[in-house]
Parts: sequence; C-alpha cells; structure tokens
Amino acid sequence: MVLLSMILLPVLVAPFAWIGEKVNRDFPKYLSLAVGIFLAFCTAYLIVKYPGNGFAFEEFYRIYPPFDFNLHLAVDGISLVLLAIVAFLAITVTLSSWHVERPGAYFFLILIFLGPMVGVFVSLNLLWFFIFWEFTLVPMFFHIGIWGAENRIYAAMKFFIYTHLASIFLLLGIIVLYLSTHTFEFGKILNIHLDPSVAKLVWILMFIGFAVKMPVVPFHTWLPDAHVQAPSPISVFLAGLLLKMGAYGLLRWEIFLFPQTSKFFAPLMAFIAVLTIFYAGFRALAEDHIKRMVAYSSINHMGFVLLGLSALTAAGISAAVYEMVGHALVISLLFMIAGYIHHKTHTWYISELGGIMKKIPGLMTMFVIGVLAAVGLPGTAGFVGELTVMLAAFDYYGWIMVIVPLASALGAGFFMWMLQRAVFGPLREEFKNLATLKELPLVENIPLAMYIAAFIIVGIVPAVVFNLYNPVINTFAQLFQ
Amino acid sequence: MNINYLAATMVLALTGAFLPVINRLFRISGIQGALISSIGYIVSLFLVLISGEGRSVLKGFFTTDPVSILVGALVLVSSWMVMLVVYWITEKDKFVNELISALMISTAGALLLISANNFISLIIAMELMTMPTYLMVLFAFDDKSFEAGVKYFFNGALAVGFMLFGISLLYGMTGSFDFSALVKNLFSDPLVALAAVFIFAGFGFKITAFPFHFWGPDVYDGTCPGVAALLTGISKSAAFIGLMRVVYEAIPVIAGHFPLILAIIAALTMTVGNLLALAQKRVSRILAYSSVAHAGYTLVAFAALSVPLSVTGIIYHSVAYVFMKTAAFLCFAVLLFVWGARTMDDYKGLGRREPLLGALFLIFLLSLAGVPPMAGFISKVFVFTAAVDAGMTWLALIGLLNSAFSVAYYIWIAKQMYLEEPTLEKPINDSPNKNWILLPLAVMAVLLILFGIWINPVVDASAVYAAKVGF
Repeated sequence: MVLLSMILLPVLVAPFAWIGEKVNRDFPKYLSLAVGIFLAFCTAYLIVKYPGNGFAFEEFYRIYPPFDFNLHLAVDGISLVLLAIVAFLAITVTLSSWHVERPGAYFFLILIFLGPMVGVFVSLNLLWFFIFWEFTLVPMFFHIGIWGAENRIYAAMKFFIYTHLASIFLLLGIIVLYLSTHTFEFGKILNIHLDPSVAKLVWILMFIGFAVKMPVVPFHTWLPDAHVQAPSPISVFLAGLLLKMGAYGLLRWEIFLFPQTSKFFAPLMAFIAVLTIFYAGFRALAEDHIKRMVAYSSINHMGFVLLGLSALTAAGISAAVYEMVGHALVISLLFMIAGYIHHKTHTWYISELGGIMKKIPGLMTMFVIGVLAAVGLPGTAGFVGELTVMLAAFDYYGWIMVIVPLASALGAGFFMWMLQRAVFGPLREEFKNLATLKELPLVENIPLAMYIAAFIIVGIVPAVVFNLYNPVINTFAQLFQ
Repeated sequence: MNINYLAATMVLALTGAFLPVINRLFRISGIQGALISSIGYIVSLFLVLISGEGRSVLKGFFTTDPVSILVGALVLVSSWMVMLVVYWITEKDKFVNELISALMISTAGALLLISANNFISLIIAMELMTMPTYLMVLFAFDDKSFEAGVKYFFNGALAVGFMLFGISLLYGMTGSFDFSALVKNLFSDPLVALAAVFIFAGFGFKITAFPFHFWGPDVYDGTCPGVAALLTGISKSAAFIGLMRVVYEAIPVIAGHFPLILAIIAALTMTVGNLLALAQKRVSRILAYSSVAHAGYTLVAFAALSVPLSVTGIIYHSVAYVFMKTAAFLCFAVLLFVWGARTMDDYKGLGRREPLLGALFLIFLLSLAGVPPMAGFISKVFVFTAAVDAGMTWLALIGLLNSAFSVAYYIWIAKQMYLEEPTLEKPINDSPNKNWILLPLAVMAVLLILFGIWINPVVDASAVYAAKVGF
C-alpha cells in the first residue's frame, strides 16, 4: 500500500490545494510541503526496509490480466534513489515557491505532477509506466505557460508538442513489444527471448522517446526554451525529475530488458553521448543568457549520464545513476540561483552583470559552490559522477574516450569564465544603488542550503548512494556477459 | 432482441413523443421538462442494463448482445447529458420541448441501430436516428442553420440511396436481408465488392469519412451546438457499431480485398481532418474537423479487420468517442451560451473566468488528443495495436503521428483558455445556477477517466462479440 499511497495521495489531495486557496492563501503551500514530507518519510521507510537486492515491496492490483494491464508496483535500489530525489525536490521546490502568485493552482499542479512522477519510477508494467510518463506533461505545460517568463507560451507549446511527439514513438515501441511478447510486465519481458530484428525496431522506437526526454543532441531543442521560460522552481522539476525519467526509462526498459540489442547499439549511444557533451559544452561557452547557459550545462551532464549507460558494465551504469543524482542536486541549485540573479538584477545576460559578489555575497558564495560542483570539484557529487563515468567509458571503449576529459575542461572553462564576468570583478555602476539587489529571505535560502548539503554529503560519502543500487546493477550486469 | 431492450427504446421514444403534448397541455417549464425526460432516460437505462436476460423477440431483425447493452447504455447516458445541457442553454420560446422530443426519438433510433442484424432493420433504425435530426439541425432558425439543414438533408438522402443500392445488390444475389443468411451464402465476387463499396459509401457519409466528409463541419458549425453534440457524438458512434456489425456479421468475405482500401481511406481521413482542424479559427469547426479525424482512427481499426483486436479497437473507440466528443461539444455549447465565445480569440482567458468548466473542457480535449489516463488514450492504444497486429505498422505510425500533431490544436484551445489574458469582459447570459450545469459534464468526465483505467467492461464485451463472429 505504501507505493500506491505515494502515487494516489498527492493526486487526491490536489483539489484541496485549489479549494483551500479561497479559505487561506497559505494553505496550498503547507499542503504541498506536507505531501513532500510524506513522500520523504515513505521513501525513508522504503530505504530502511529495503532488503538490499532485487525488487521489494511488490504491489499488484489486478485490472485486466488477459492483456496484462495491471498496476504492478515495486521498487529496487535504482527506483529508491530516484524516489529519494522526487521527495527531496518536492520539499525544496515547495520552499522555493513560497511566495508564488496564484498559489492554489500552482500547488494543485505540483501535487498532480508528483503522483505520476512517483508512478514512473515504481511501475513495473510498461503500459502503466507510459500512462504516468505521459501525464506528467500536462501539469508541466501549465506551469511553464502560466508562471513562466515573457516567451512562456511559445516555450510551453513547444515543450508539449515536442515531447508528446516523442512519446508517440515510445508508444509505438510499446505496442510492437506487446505484440511480440504479449505482456507488459517487466519480469516477463525479461525472460522472453525476442527476435533480434524486432528487438532492434523496438529499441530504436523507444530510444527516440527516451532520448528526447533526456535530452540528447539532436533532440534537445525543446529544453533550452522550456528551461529559460519556466519559473526557476519548475526548472528544478524539469531538470531534476523530467530528464531523469528519460534516463531511467532508457535504463529500466531498454538496457535491462534488451541487453544484447543495447550492446549492438552501444556505440551509437556513446557517439550521441560524446556529441551531446561537446555540443552542449560549446553552446554553453557561447551563451550570454545565464539560465540558458545552465540549461546547456544540464544537457552536457545528461550526456555524461548517457555515456555511462552506454558503457553497459556494472561500473558504467552505476556511475550513470550516480551522475543522475549529482545532476539533480547541482543543476537544481544553479537554476534556482540563476533565477534569483535575474530577479534581483532584472537582467539575464552575463555581459550586463558584473561584481554582484560585492552586493550579495551569501547568495553568490552558494552559486560559486554550485558551479564548482558542476565542474567536478573533488568533494562534491559532480566530481564522483564525472570521474566514474569517464573511468567506465575508458574501460569499455578504450583510448578513444580520451576526448571526454577535454569536454570536462570545456565545462570548467565556460563556468569559470561566466563567474569571472558575472560574479567577480568590479561592481557595475547601475547595481550600486539597486534596491532589489539584496540577500534572500530565510525560507528561500533553506532549499539552496539543502542542495549544497546534499551534494557535499553524497560527494564525500558516495557509498550512501552506491550501496543502495550496486547489488541490483551487478545482478543485471550479468546479462551483458 | 431482448424484450427489455425493446421496451427501453419504446419508453424513450414514447417519452419523447409525448413531451410536446404534455407541454401543450400543461405549459411545463424547462426544469419540469428536464425532469420528465430524465425519468424516461432513467427507466430506459435501467431496462437496457437488465436486458441481459428475458424473452427474445424480433429475432431475425435485432440482436441483444453485450456490445449493444454496453454501447446502448453509454449512448443513453450521453444523450441524457445532452438533454440536460440543451434544456439549460436553450431559451424557452424556441420549441425546446420539441427539440428534446426529436433528440429522444433519435437516440431510440441509435439504440436500435447498434443492435440491428438485418439490413431492413438497419435501414429503419438508421432512418429513425436520422429523420429527427433533419429537423433538429434547423433549430437555430437562422440562414446558416437552413444552409446546414439542406446540406445535411441532401447528404443524408444520398447516403441512404447508396446504401439501399448496395443492399439491393446483396439481396439480388442471395435473396435475403438477414446477416446470418448473408454470411453463409456470400462468396468472394466482384458484385459483392461493389455492393460493399456502396454500403461503405452510405456509412462513410454518416461517419464523415474521407471523401464524404465535406458536409460534416458545415453542419456541425451551422447548427446549434447541442444538436452538433448529438450528431457528432451519438449518431456517429452508433454508426460505427452499425458498420461493425455489417462488416463482421454480414460481409466478412470482403476481408481479402478491403483492408488496404480501408487503410488508405483511414489514413486520408485522419490526415485531412487534422490538417483542416489546424487551419480553423472557430472552435466549433476545430471540434468538427477533429471528429473527422476521429472517424479516421476508427477506420484504422476497421482496416485491421483480420485480427480480433480490431473489434476491441472499434468498440473501445466508439465508447470513448461518444463521451469525449459529445461532452466537448456540450462544453462549447455552455461557453457559447454564457460568454458568446465562438472563435479562438474569444476563448482567450476563458479558463480563468470559468475555472471548473474550463478544466472539464480540458479533460475532454486531452482525451480527444489521447493523453492518459482518459479513455481516449487507451482506445487509441487498442486501435493502433490492432493495426500493428494486422501487419499495418505503417498505418499505425501514420495514425500515431496524426495523433501527435492533433495535440497541437487541442492544446491550442487549452493555451487560449489558460495562458492568455481574457478578452471577453462580461458574460452575455449570466445564470445564477451556473454550477448545476457542470454536474452532467462532470459525470461524463468521471466516466471518461473511469473507462480509461477500468478497461474490463468494454474489453469483455468485445471479447464476447469477437467470439461470436468467429475469431
């Protein structure tokens, strides 16, 4: 019942956020916070009780067994890590949105979003996975479209149509897979030997769906628009959860299910990954818009995730999952602070900023810490993630991956250059007497501090994350032998 | 046909027939009229639901199987909701009771059409369903609705003409109208194919399949939206089921030649419907062309007629369609009545003015677009799974791409309603009991989500039907 309640409770209480706004303006945000804490407690309970390997806490709700259309929920180590991210971001995003306009509708949509989000990570039925996956688009569309920046409507429409189009390929893949296996169950598909040509067709169709969500070059164009126009807390959901859905789907429903086909396509994945890393790195280098730069660095990191997955070894996959955690924590912090910089200085452009460290040292210190984590400073999650991914890639692909550390240097380059231009240096004249340029209120600092604490803890003690899912990945990695 | 089912159609038709008489005698108000009709609907619904057991009558003409019970019940529910909304949005002096009377008789015709298994009863049921709608289309009493009425009448007459010609060819070959006799005596023959083409053409008019779709948007746009809800939702769903019975019960011999033709017609219907919908400015025309596109999705399932899943696809899509299309037009009708909103520009910011109604409209639009967890999603899954199963992956891909692009105009309405600033300042008809009208629409939304997750009733009924027609 735990998993089902984690999916249903946010959705069922969501209307109360909308109604409650009329009674008390503060009610929706406390409700959302309570749901976030509820999710955190449930996840903590699951982590503590998790036996260490395999699927646990299985829940099976019969709907229509002849078509295998049943709600089958279970978690393993990988799902648990992602559930932890969902719960953590649910709390931090609520705190970051403390002073949002029209809170009723806003938190209604957040709650509507959280339930299916949990469902994506715990569903072992492919059709239900798709149902949850697809439904998350609707609240995101309204979040971007209503609370976004100037060009929000264009971004929201592009986001919805683009990702929906990608999902269509995923759905076609699911249909072809169902007709060849007559099941939607993860466990059953795992034991069926599929005809290689069918497996390749299914793999490609589903990969398009996942690759757009991740996103990887050349399917990434929706992301910079969506991120730049979305309000910062929603960017956190986009980067922290929506992109993880793509990577998780690729891992759970393609790499684990079709190990041999994935092996066939591994060079393609690695090529796309390296292309993504470099392309996003160069785009970020050229970018003047600070949030767009963070968005490209987010794509850059997702390239590392895909590179780790493409290595198809236990080390590579576990590095990729670790990088997903690091990305969720670090990029979320950067998106939040990029949003605050715009809020305080009324400009998005690095060329119009300068020396704001002098006016808001507290916020900018956190920004610098976040940037250092993003470029892979030892002691943060960014370092462990990139290093382990690179090691796994060297291991699998050999000397050709020597180019990847260059990309890492590129990442360091664009971030440091941005810091030097925007944050350090002399304070610009027009900022000297700007009244809005002041430190954040406490409640908005809490989530930022939470991100920093989290990525430092998992950076110093990576074992807290690795230990959770390594046995699972080791079990599945035997399939690639 | 089960005697209870027959009684259900009788009750409905007689309630409809006596409603104007009662009004002449007692001058009933809108609420009283709605109550009297509701009683008719409830009794009829009850009778349909218990028609699983009981004596059989008119055996050679109608059949009562799980499909007719299921779809009949859902058609009744949708028609009931249409009745409530039409009473609410129609001003008193416009012969509203006569309109409701025609609506109920037409629904009785739809109930008979979905259970007809003889060409004679099929034609009679179809005419019973269509004749009252010829009057209803004229109901807006303006030039546009006269134009729509004339167009509708001529197209309807043409459709019946085609169909009768096809049927007479079949009769000439076998000497029978009965489906069970036809299926035994027919063999693959050019004349049978010709007859099938004519019968398809007749149904093609009814379901607005390409190239017989031209009248559809003009009529749906020209008449008042409550009537359009009946025409595009209920009549079309009933015609889908009627066509399904003809194809699977009477002339399955065409399965050898027709799938490719049907597939091409399906692909063209979807594409034409979606492309034209994208170009529209008026919301009623968008909904009308989307209904053309949905005829295409159902035809995809017909094209896959060699596999049993196609039956599930057709029935599920009809079930989902009757709810979502009817309800979408009803939402449009209520917004038109309260705000006078016709075009996309009028829809700007309406979601803020009418949050609940807007949210309901959004549910129906997303269901039409095929977003889970609404029934429109799962029905598309069945339709396209059937197509892939029948070896027409290309058709499924065209259909899915169409479905993805169709999202553009559905979400465009959502964008106008929620993301733009309002343009309309004051409602033209501000009714104090506005929230009551949300109730029927909410019922349809709940049923739509329920059928999107709880697939058992529809799939079980389809399985029984598939077994009956020999899969």
